[in-house]
Order: sequence, then C-alpha cells, then structure tokens
Amino acid sequence: MKLELGYIYIKDIQFGETSKVENGIIYVNKDELKSIILEDQNLKSVEFDLAKPGESVRITPVKDVIEPRVKVEGPGGIFPGMLSKVETVGSGKTNVLKGAAVVTTGKIVGFQEGIIDMTGPGAEYTPFSKLNNLVMICEPIDGLKQPEHEKALRFAGYKAAAYLGELAKNITPDETETFETLSVTEGMKAYPELPRVAYVLMLQTQGLLHDTYVYGVDAKRIISTLIYPTEIMDGAIVSGNCVSACDKNTTYHHLNNPVIHDLFEQHGKTLNFVGVIITNENVYLADKERSSNWSSKLAEFLGVDGVIISQEGFGNPDTDLIMNCKKIEAKGIKTVIITDEYAGRDGSSQSLADADVSANAVVTGGNANEVINLPKLDKVIGHINYVDIIAGGFDGSLHEDGSITVELQVITGATNEMGFNKLSAR
Amino acid sequence: MIKVVQYINQFFANVGGEEMAHIPAEIREGHVGPGLAFQQAFKDEAEIVATIVCGDSYFNENLDKAKAEVLAMVKQYNPDLFIAGPAFNAGRYGVACGTIAAAVKEELGIPSITGMYKENPGADMFKNKVYMVSTKNSAAGMRDAVKKMAPLALKLAKGEKIGSSAEEGYMPNGIRVNFFEKERGSKRAVGMLLKKLAGKEFETEFPMPDFDRVDPNPAVKDITKAKIALVTSGGIVPKGNPDHIESSSASKYGEYDIEGVMDLTEETFETAHGGYDPIYANADSDRVLPVDILRDLEKEGKIGSLYRYYYSTVGNGTAVKSAKAFAAEIGKKLKADGVDAVILTST
Amino acid sequence: MVITNNDLVNNKYKDLINIKFIDGNYRDVLVFARDKIHEGYELLTHPLSSSVKPNETPFKSLIISDLKGELNLDSVIVIENSIMTYDKFNKVNIRFNEKVIGDFKLIDLTVLESALNI
Repeated sequence: MKLELGYIYIKDIQFGETSKVENGIIYVNKDELKSIILEDQNLKSVEFDLAKPGESVRITPVKDVIEPRVKVEGPGGIFPGMLSKVETVGSGKTNVLKGAAVVTTGKIVGFQEGIIDMTGPGAEYTPFSKLNNLVMICEPIDGLKQPEHEKALRFAGYKAAAYLGELAKNITPDETETFETLSVTEGMKAYPELPRVAYVLMLQTQGLLHDTYVYGVDAKRIISTLIYPTEIMDGAIVSGNCVSACDKNTTYHHLNNPVIHDLFEQHGKTLNFVGVIITNENVYLADKERSSNWSSKLAEFLGVDGVIISQEGFGNPDTDLIMNCKKIEAKGIKTVIITDEYAGRDGSSQSLADADVSANAVVTGGNANEVINLPKLDKVIGHINYVDIIAGGFDGSLHEDGSITVELQVITGATNEMGFNKLSAR
Repeated sequence: MIKVVQYINQFFANVGGEEMAHIPAEIREGHVGPGLAFQQAFKDEAEIVATIVCGDSYFNENLDKAKAEVLAMVKQYNPDLFIAGPAFNAGRYGVACGTIAAAVKEELGIPSITGMYKENPGADMFKNKVYMVSTKNSAAGMRDAVKKMAPLALKLAKGEKIGSSAEEGYMPNGIRVNFFEKERGSKRAVGMLLKKLAGKEFETEFPMPDFDRVDPNPAVKDITKAKIALVTSGGIVPKGNPDHIESSSASKYGEYDIEGVMDLTEETFETAHGGYDPIYANADSDRVLPVDILRDLEKEGKIGSLYRYYYSTVGNGTAVKSAKAFAAEIGKKLKADGVDAVILTST
Repeated sequence: MVITNNDLVNNKYKDLINIKFIDGNYRDVLVFARDKIHEGYELLTHPLSSSVKPNETPFKSLIISDLKGELNLDSVIVIENSIMTYDKFNKVNIRFNEKVIGDFKLIDLTVLESALNI
C-alpha cells in the first residue's frame, strides 16, 4: 500500500469572507463553518477563535487537536467510519495543511483538563504551540448527557478539520513525501538482509472520555489486529480520549504518528518496517491478557526481529505495556518501549505502576509530576477557573496574578508516549 | 569569591603510596595535587583555600574518628563548597570520599561533590546521598573528571538549579529530572532498537527497578516432620535489645534462643525497628514473629519442630549488601543444624 | 464482586450484582480489595482503571472474583503496586462542587461498565 502526502505549508490563519487557502494562509468563513457544525442538533452554539505561535494566549480545557487533511486521489475519505464511509484508506494521495490544526475545547465534565500555551515556558512543552490553530468553543443544548456531549464535540472537531482540509483539495503541495508498505513476502524479497521491525501501537480504551476509534469501531471491542501505517495517516484512528492531557494521543498525534514516521525514515536503509499492530488498553485484566497474547502472536506471525511499543495514558496501561513487552521478548523478539513517568513532584518515587526485567530498553517522555510555573497570559480561550481541581493542579494552583503553578501533566501532549517530543528524564 | 575546601588522599598529595596510607588527616593551605587543575577550571570564580590530606587506611580503619576530624577541619574554614576526590577506581579512597562528602553535606549543610568510577564500591554506597560525578577508572582520566566536576561544583555552590544526571554528568541518584533531548522520543526509540538488534550496547532511559528475585525451593516433602526456623527483618529482640541492633541501617543481626519460650510477651520481647509504629509489636511480638502459633502447630503435630534459635535484624534502610551478608551467614547455620524450612517475616 | 465507594454504581447495580459498598475513600477501596485478594479472591479489573489520577477523583470501583480460590500472585502484585502508586500522588484538599462530584461518579461508572460489558 502506497500513499503520497502533499504538504501545503501554512504560515497564518485568518477569518475572511470566503474560506480558502492562498499563499500559505488559511481564510475561514466563520458563518459557513458555523452552520455546518450546528447541523448537529445536540449543539446549541459554537464560537471560533484563533491562536497562533508566539501569541499571549492560553487555550483550555483542550479536548482534541486535529490536523486538516483531504483525500485527493485513491479510495475513501478522511476519518473513515466516522465522517467518511468505511472504505479502506491509506493509498493514493492526501493533502495536508501542515502547520495548522483545529483545537476543540469545552467542558464535558467538571474536571476537564488540558492546556496549550502559545508562548512562554508552557509553550515549550506542547507541540501545538507551534501551529496556527482554529479553536472551537462548543456549547451543548441544555440537559445533554455527557456521552452525547462528548460525541458531539468529537464530531464537531472532525467536521471542522475536514472542512479546512477540503480547501486544500486542488492545491499543488509545496512538498510531497511517499510512504509505501509492501506485502510481507515482497518485503522479504526486497530487503532480505535488513532486520524486520513492526510497531505495536497501544490505544486507550476504557470508557467515557477514555476511548479511541478505529474505522469507527470503539477499540475496546477489537482484538489486536494489523493495520497499514498509511491507513493511520488518513485518519483510520481517531481519539475520543479527554483525560490525562500530557500523555493522551490526540487525533493529531495519530495522523502524525512519530514512530511510524521515524521507522519509515529508516525503512529500506537500516531496517524493514513491516507494519503496525494495534492493540487496546482495557480495564478488564483478562482483556489485557488476551490483547497482549494477540499482539505478541501477531509479532511472531509477522516474523519480525524487533518491535517498538508505544503507550497511552496513565496507570493501568503500564500493565498492558509490560505485558506486551514481556510476551514479545519471550518470543525472542527485541523490544523498545516508550512511556512516561509519574515519579512524584520531587522525582523520587517509583515511576511506573508495573515493571519487568525484560523491559530493558525504555524511552521516556519525562516525569509528568514535575512542577512548572505558567505566567499569566493576556488571553484565555476557554475556562481557567478549573485548574485547582484537575490532575496536576492543586489547591492554590491558580494565583491571584493569573499565573498558575501546576504539574506538567496538565499540558496537552507534554509527555507523549509515542515519543512525539524531545522531553525526557534521567 | 567562592571558598572551596578539597579532600584528597596521601597518594594524590604526593605523600606516598600504600606505605603511607596510615597517615592521619592534616590540613594544608591552598590547593594540592589535583587541586591545581580544579583551580584552573574555576578561573576567578572560586578559590581552593585549603586541602585536607588523609591516608586511606587511616580513614577507613578509624571511620568515626577520622570523619569527625575531617569535619572539624572543614568547619574551621566554613567554605561555600566541598570537593572530595576524584577517587577513580581506588576502593578505600572512594569510600572515604563518599563518606566525607555526604557528611559535609548532611552535617554541615555545605554544598558538596565527589567523583569516582562507577564500579568503585563507594559509588553504590553514596551516589544517592551526594552528587557524584562518574569518572574514568584511573587517574589518567583526571582532565575529564575536572571538566565535569568543576562546572557542577560551581552550580551547587551558587545554588543554581541542577539538571538531569544525563546533562550534568553525575551518577543517577534515584531522583528523576526532566530535560530536553536532542532528538524526539520516537527517533531515540528507533535508534535504541537498531542498537539492540545489532547486539550493540545501548542505554535505557529508565532502568527498571532492581529485581533480585529468587526462585522458590521445591515444596517441603513432609511438613509434619520438618524442622522450621523463624527469621525476621522486623527487629524482634529480647527486651532491652541486648545486641544493640540499630533501629535503622542495621549493621548486625541477632541470634536468640527460644527453647521453652511458648509465647512472646510484652515483658520479654520487643522490636528494635524504627521504621514502623512499634506499639503493637511491643505489646505482642508474636504479631511479627509468630512463635506462639508455631508452638501450637508443634504441639498438634502439624510441623515437626520449631528450631531452637531465631534470627532477627532490622530491615529499615539496611543496605542490600549487609542484608545479603547476614542472610549468607544465617543460611549456613540453619543448614548446618538441619533446618528444613524457614519462615521469613517482615514488618 | 464489585467493590466501590461510588453510590451511583451502588444504586444502579446493588439489586443486580454482588456489590460491597465502602463508605470511605479511593484508598479504602484498594485496601479492602487487597485484603480480599490475600484471602484468595482474584482481581478482575485493574485498580488504576481510567487515566483520571488517584489524587483527582474521589471514586473508585473495581471487580474481584465472587469465589475464593488459591492466592493469585499476579493479583497481589497488581493491587500492591496500585496502592503504592496511589500513595505517591500528592493529596489535594479541595472541596468539589456537586456537578464535578457527579461527573467523577459518572466516569467511574462508565469505566466500570466497560468491564461489566453491559
């Protein structure tokens, strides 16, 4: 399967009369987009705002971040099973508005979390401070229950991203990049001497605000399975996960999965990137056993020499991570795992909730409990009064001068467990 | 100007080798031996005002006395910074450096640093107590050691924020510190996997906790015939703690005769352990060391017999190395006396 | 058996399934479960289910087996590690409003239900 991504580099985003992309600038007709979003009868209102790199803006609470993409050639459309039909995606051509994103905010529950600072010390920890963001503040109709509210917000994000993506359909990209995965047998013939490597992608799947979807299927209902990396680039996996801001994988992370990108970079040179095994992180311990049995079995079935395993979320996924690692190592396949740490504010506590001697190659996204001071910024998009009660916040987090003292875990994407960032710890 | 006092051994002070290792601590004005390289690295920011020279044998054989003497010398100069070593792979020198550097930090509250090779026995003993720079294994690595130790020492003296071990060059000390790597995590993961696949050396970013697991022995064949011993790290001792087992970081264990003892009472036994609320253990030590129950089982014929002695130490903060040494000795005695099984109780 | 300190879970399921309601905090639920596990009950759901941090939500529901068997060492390790993880989080002393408390209860319920398969 072969996909060409066409990057259209975005340097600014503005509101305008007509929605279009011109000379690297996205113009958005607010009213037109608004009418599309409000087709959902569960939403009462939607407002739009812009947040650009370097601006004194704080966005919070962040639900999801989504990159605008559009299918130009090949079967299916972006976000199959959610917005588009369940056609198999991942081949042909897809255009990307690189440097832009849709950010959804809104309080589904009272302790919603996630901060993106566009400037200052907080901006260094979130990749989304470098993007030109269209921020959506959606309000549900009165009395809407949390599950429906979450769904409405999730879809509003996809729709807005697809709307922006559509603007890029007929634009010639500034740059293109091609990704190809051969069938197992073809791959073996093409790179007989290179080590064969797969990627085990763990998805958060634990209930309301903790879910991930694959082609529209709630991933807690899947058994570990195989997917082409390029399918993920077309939005086959989307996030419905709204908790643990620092180490949840937003839809943006899935679309731009860094492990996939960096494995492709070495593909055909130092390794043969065979494909992606997706697996879940369920609450039921027997599910964890079954899913990790399957991911290790699939790794064995593919005949790989090594895998990289990435994680999502806090606490019990440590158990899935260690099970995956242990069982895959037991099959004689080398592993590297990517995680993050909760080592306490002083860094002295045991970092993970589970451990095993076979996990001898670990990449860490840093200690999420480390405390950071975020200065007052001129503008807040969303609500800030909640920081006292979110994870990583504490009584007195919000100071009178508008600055906040919080643990890193409040920052969206700060300790990402796909290895999206440079942050680490020793 | 930052005032510095440095500690070095007889060898680096050019007094002599092993034959001079007995010399007691003495103090000299200014820098001596490796102090010159440190002084050059400090430029005008700091000055080594005095150097303490002490023989390795003297320090290690008179630990408490030597420590007190050196501390008094340091105190007299009231420095802003204390440097011990670097000791490279010299074992007794490393232990001396670790001991004194940690003591200066803890007891005098003066910023303190040392350096040695990672396999120096002083490293495992003190790397979590004081900043310890990882050096090469011989004095040929002096230049490299100074290059790492001097900047970190200045930062400590100035009270600046200390970065992660990977950035600053000190040995990982159990405190996790965030920092920005050059490459993103996924790229580091790919690089690590390629090394692992090629059988090359790689360094994990998060070492798993030490698993010193022991496979269980096969089950006792006939428990009704077995001689059972009790061993505890819960600190249960005869009232008055006759062997003076320390309440933490125990340096010894005790062997106590319980022939004819049917029950541990408030009047006869207590705990020496300082790491938990002792009220319930003191009121009835059987709660930690179940002599009463085992006597019942003995009477009922459910076990063969209870071994005549029990062994006790305090697990609170006790070094794994000491615990292993105790266990080896105790195990030997139990084996010699034909004990079939041991019940180990903690707290 | 469901062990919970969440009355939303208790009220919804008390007539349908075996529930032990704990009138206490998150840690009390973990400790009760630990004691049961040491008696030989098997842990069926992960005690740190949900990414909502243990110092954030006051509510916890988990499931252990209805029947007692031999001591399950995996269960022991998971529950003990979970209690250690709980203890390492700095405790916050915040009075939540009713809406937030209701939300915490709801999330705990849905996470539990994802395992109950109802």
